Amino acid sequence: MALIERFQKTTDIGFWEGQIPMSYIYTVGRAGEKFFRELINGKIFGAKCEACNITYVPAKIFCEKCFARLEDKYLDVGTNGKVYTFTQCYETYEGIRKEKPSIVAVIQIDGTQGFLVHWLGEIDFEKVSIGMPVEAVFKAKKDREGSILDIKYFKPIK
Amino acid sequence: MRRVAIVGAGLTKFYRNTQETPKELAYEATKMALDSCEMKLSDIDCVVHGTAPDAFDGVHMKGEYLSDGSGAYRKPYMRHFVGGGTGVLSPIHGWFHVASGMFDTCLVVAEEKMSSAYPHPAGAFLTIFDHTTEQPLYPTLIYIFAIEMNRFMTTHGYRKEDIALVAVKNKKNAMDHPSAQLPAEITVQDVLNSEIMAWPVNRLDISPTSDGAACVVLAAEHVARRITEKPIWIDGCGWSLDTAYWTTRDLYYPDYLEVAARQAYKMAGIKEPSKEIHIAEPYDPFTYKELHHIEGLMLAPRGKSVQMLVDGHFNRNGNLPTSPSGGLLGVGNPIAAAGLMKVIELYLQLKGTAGKRQVPGNPTCGVANAWGDLMQVGTVVVLRS
Repeated sequence: MALIERFQKTTDIGFWEGQIPMSYIYTVGRAGEKFFRELINGKIFGAKCEACNITYVPAKIFCEKCFARLEDKYLDVGTNGKVYTFTQCYETYEGIRKEKPSIVAVIQIDGTQGFLVHWLGEIDFEKVSIGMPVEAVFKAKKDREGSILDIKYFKPIK
Repeated sequence: MRRVAIVGAGLTKFYRNTQETPKELAYEATKMALDSCEMKLSDIDCVVHGTAPDAFDGVHMKGEYLSDGSGAYRKPYMRHFVGGGTGVLSPIHGWFHVASGMFDTCLVVAEEKMSSAYPHPAGAFLTIFDHTTEQPLYPTLIYIFAIEMNRFMTTHGYRKEDIALVAVKNKKNAMDHPSAQLPAEITVQDVLNSEIMAWPVNRLDISPTSDGAACVVLAAEHVARRITEKPIWIDGCGWSLDTAYWTTRDLYYPDYLEVAARQAYKMAGIKEPSKEIHIAEPYDPFTYKELHHIEGLMLAPRGKSVQMLVDGHFNRNGNLPTSPSGGLLGVGNPIAAAGLMKVIELYLQLKGTAGKRQVPGNPTCGVANAWGDLMQVGTVVVLRS
């Protein structure tokens, strides 16, 4: 069945270099306006569907389960959570080895069914465990710009 | 609805860096499938094509680009795409066309050429994540799967060295597959000693990036019986999508798959999957995913798949051989083509023409699944001889 031959070096065959040169400006959306503007204030906002008893984080304008509109259901969910699962990454998305590996975790925000993906800081990888309580560490107020990176990382609650 | 059979199949070799263009790869697989059942393009009523993100091949609107290589010139043609789940959705999409009565024959083609993307096709995945909440953190596919594997291991108390047996089994099975990219005889220690990518995932826990194409020929019952003495029937189809927010589903168990599997089993009249199914091709882009999917397909109780693996249950001569092809870990992972490769393996096994890979005991019922989109789509096909 095998018909196709492999080449070892790109210079062995004819080729043409190309790109799809596009860049994008992504809007954060209606719920995102709330979520990201509140990050500047050092707050994390979710949205609660009372019918389903689910609090989404980040805030959303609708409940994906019952399709209720949640735009008037935004709430401050605090900045504490628990490590739901985690990893330590050794390569970048371009496949390049990192100088220093980073710890990434999914954090369930306390009192919600919502999760944020973020880095963990101020802890050694060997000490991280599932269920560990953590809190968001924000940048200095003057440096915040309404980005998920306004949170520098989550750190263990002592 | 009419009964639909697979009557022919073709598969290119899987490689990193093929000289062939994507449409040339599609052509080779399609031509091979037609030749395998002595059919001509003029015998074909319609064509469906499965291929994953345009960003891999670097051709925007890849469906149109691939159409001629897939045999679609002046024929009804439709592309489908559900990320990594595409390759098992492909025969389902073809099944619609024939089961509906609209067409008697259908070519189902799947293609991927990942090596065109530089510096690495993993870069194309950055933009599948939420652009404001996740992309600024530079997520990689490997790290989100490491996160899922950790949850799976921790919930069930599985050990990394036991999960590594999946790589040992599948790469060994692939030694007998002529299309295989990474066949090898390795040990658990080799997996554990390979480069750490994102804990707990090491390099040998992961399938490679690949180029390749696959094709099956579908026919309605009355046509299939003229073409072959042993049509292989598509008796069950299932697909489902879990939440689009990947972090909010319980990562230890693939609900997206159980929903799809229940749909396919119901259609096929299967009540006890672990007894009625003889071979399985669970989607295995990572070692733990084969086990995750064996549990989601309800072929093992939750939390028991690793012990069954250790006991040899899933070996080629075990009670329920899984990935007898060699899977994505051994044969390779040109995304959509890899999923269809799994369906082709069931086809060859049920027909009794899998050669050195043939499992013993004349299997008559098999299941394949694939998984994709942003970790939440499940696609399932049940085949019978």
